[in-house]
Amino acid sequence: MKLEKSAIEVAIKNKIIEISESLGSDASDLQTDDIIPATGLIDSAGLLDLIAWFEASYDFKIPMSELTIDNLGTISAMAEYLLRSKNLM
Amino acid sequence: MALSIHVPRINNNDDEVKVVGIDVKIGAHVKAGQIIAQFETDKAVMDLESSNEGYVLAINGEIDDIVKVGDIFIWLGASLDEAIPQQASGDAVDSTQTNAPTAKARLLLKEYNLNAHEIPQTGTRLSVADIQNYITATGRKPIAVNSTTVNYQEPLPTVTGELKTLKSEERGMLSTVLWHRDVAVPGYIEISYDVSPWEDYAKTFGEKHNLLLSPLLPLMAWRLVELSIEMPHINATISGSQRYEYQQTNLGFTVQAGQTLYLTVVQQANSLDPLQFVNRMVELQRGAAAHTLGAQELQDATICFSSMSRWKVSRHIPILPPHTSIMIAHTVGPDGLGVLGATYDHRVLNGGDVVTVLRKLSKPNPSN
Repeated sequence: MKLEKSAIEVAIKNKIIEISESLGSDASDLQTDDIIPATGLIDSAGLLDLIAWFEASYDFKIPMSELTIDNLGTISAMAEYLLRSKNLM
Repeated sequence: MALSIHVPRINNNDDEVKVVGIDVKIGAHVKAGQIIAQFETDKAVMDLESSNEGYVLAINGEIDDIVKVGDIFIWLGASLDEAIPQQASGDAVDSTQTNAPTAKARLLLKEYNLNAHEIPQTGTRLSVADIQNYITATGRKPIAVNSTTVNYQEPLPTVTGELKTLKSEERGMLSTVLWHRDVAVPGYIEISYDVSPWEDYAKTFGEKHNLLLSPLLPLMAWRLVELSIEMPHINATISGSQRYEYQQTNLGFTVQAGQTLYLTVVQQANSLDPLQFVNRMVELQRGAAAHTLGAQELQDATICFSSMSRWKVSRHIPILPPHTSIMIAHTVGPDGLGVLGATYDHRVLNGGDVVTVLRKLSKPNPSN
């Protein structure tokens, strides 16, 4: 996968759409700055699926202490967190 | 001296098998471990390997023959001129000369703790009918099951199928279900509750600690840990005729990860504070999602919590894991009404105990 913010955001959104569909929700209108947990589109277990996919897809590990709303609460924050973790930002 | 190789047993229900392949001829030299024949039942096919090195002296069957399990199928000798024992030359040794019980009969003997020699035998082998007649005549009862060992002998269905080995988590589930069925005396009680106080409390807690994931279910599970300290008899099981109260609380929490249902366990949960407990549960859920949990993270639960609110079911009745007395069953139905149920071991707890636990669990701890 490309390590460019816009490409990362597209990949994350596609994964959220996939997870939300499995829960009977439609996340196609989700914006990059929407607070994901607050939308109710995916629950905690779905967020964990998203995190597991995020780590596996970009080959990095998120420490428990950094599993916060500030770091991972929005699509945009997730992409920026990844780039920071890879020292690309 | 010539060595005999016998017709193998493929499963417990078939005392006869069909010869579907013979890979050697009389006079051939075979090595130990070499496949020499194949046998089939309507459930499976099995290779027969040579147990020793030697020359094939005799083959007691042909392809498509139906042969009896345990009969001699092949004789091996150290040389081609070695003699086959007199009684066995030609056809296979007649197994009917023995009174060995049939496979089904052996299972029945075990179930009733009987000795084959004490039962009159009407045919050439001790049969199920012989044993059933004896049981009827003597009024014998099956022995009580008091083990949690997985030793499951369900007769195979008559419809053609294939046996598959269970994965470790599937064996764990089988063990749990059998303990629930054979040892515990399960009951189930549920109450409805207002979800607002818990949701408000979890929201405040999550914002205070900047948590990404909702701490609602972990906090409810934490409340159960608190109750296990306040009411030690709910964190217990039965041993013999005594209650065994655990000195620590190992909180079991079900996590569905893909097709796998885990019972993750927070060891010594009573030694943690609420935030530590919430974070530990998230760690376990992450481990379950990645299928990287270790054995210590999946065993020795003493008290359990399960939620199916994700699926908005109106009720679910969990199975009790071995040596636990209560598993909470939480859900929020499609109407938004909270439901707290509990499967409990009636040997340890009564309905009043369980209602007390559920009522206390329906609200956050007022002292928090």
